[in-house]
Amino acid sequence: RYVRQLQRLQLLFSPTAADARGARQFVEEAAQDFARQHPDVVLYVSPRSGPGPAPVLRAEYLNGTVREELIASKTSEEIVQLATKLANQSGLDIIRIRKPFHTDNPSIQGQWHPLTNKPSILTIQGPHLQPQ
Amino acid sequence: RRSEKPNWDYHAEIQAFSHRVQENFSLELLKTAFVNPCYIESEEARRRQLGLDKDAVALQLQDNTGLAERGLRFARAYLAQCFEGAYPELPAKGIEALVNFLTSQELVSYVAQNLSIQDLTLCRDFPAPPDVLQRTFLAVIGALLESSGPERTGIFVRDFFIPQLIGKDLFEIWEVVNPMGLLVEELTKRNISAPEPRITRQLGVSTVLPVYFVGLYCDKKILAEGPGETLLAAEEEAARVALRKLYGYTENRRPWDYSKPKQGLAAEKAISSN
Repeated sequence: RYVRQLQRLQLLFSPTAADARGARQFVEEAAQDFARQHPDVVLYVSPRSGPGPAPVLRAEYLNGTVREELIASKTSEEIVQLATKLANQSGLDIIRIRKPFHTDNPSIQGQWHPLTNKPSILTIQGPHLQPQ
Repeated sequence: RRSEKPNWDYHAEIQAFSHRVQENFSLELLKTAFVNPCYIESEEARRRQLGLDKDAVALQLQDNTGLAERGLRFARAYLAQCFEGAYPELPAKGIEALVNFLTSQELVSYVAQNLSIQDLTLCRDFPAPPDVLQRTFLAVIGALLESSGPERTGIFVRDFFIPQLIGKDLFEIWEVVNPMGLLVEELTKRNISAPEPRITRQLGVSTVLPVYFVGLYCDKKILAEGPGETLLAAEEEAARVALRKLYGYTENRRPWDYSKPKQGLAAEKAISSN
């Protein structure tokens, strides 16, 4: 079954700073809808008073990684899109993936080794092989 | 500890946990499932240290040992039944080895860590030791058993434990000391004559790294073939390959069936056999 990898989102913003306007609009309008649509993510809204550091959206994942995204001077829709993007991610590090494919069964009929198609010492009885 | 950092709401976290796993829990059972006995002792010790009267502020928490036992019994019975259905040839010792591996401390604590159970447990030490995580996860399974019934718990156990077997070989999990003896027993049970080992191919006999392919033949029909460094090692490997083929646990077997179960008889049998 699918287990969403996002554990909780913490929205840290200041109620007076100018660049947190999008964050305040998000909290007023869209935060409740977002929380209802994603019942398995805990959304914490913590306003911190006074001119502090820039408003930030912190995402914690099940494997422990914490990702912070700046939301200064972003509109409410952009923050919604950002939050859904974070909700659909997993907590793996965002690094370059070396190859876009991976298999656990690299060979189906058995990997070739230097003895695959050589005739053996004994005769093998099979549907097509004749004893020599 | 995460519960001591800012922004932590226990009730909301527990609700989110039940949604994440897509199961309906009764919240009180779930909360008791996360309480460990070491937490109760440490809380009582702390209260005594702070000088509070014991009767005034009594801890009314029950710990999770009962739920954990029930969860463990159900999980073992259900997994044993799954394997008996999927690999009917596998002997009882093999099934026991598989079930023991799946309910071992490391595996269960690994699954619990990746489901954020280590944040929700109430226990004395931090980070939570693996046996505490194992007990908590089994108690969660027990709580689910009480809340939703054996069918849904069976599906839950299947979805979270059986994918841990992907990519694992039978003899990595089940230690077999004498595969040749076991093979001879299995063949006598099926009334096939004893296997006869013959060298099929060999490479580099007089070098440091020889490779021998020994094939096991019954009535001059091939049973299995295995490589090895010395003749004895190759014979043992061929016996293991033959056992894998007989028990149906080869690498190219059908993958596990995760479709919705139609009958409720299977889970009820698991409960009645406890």
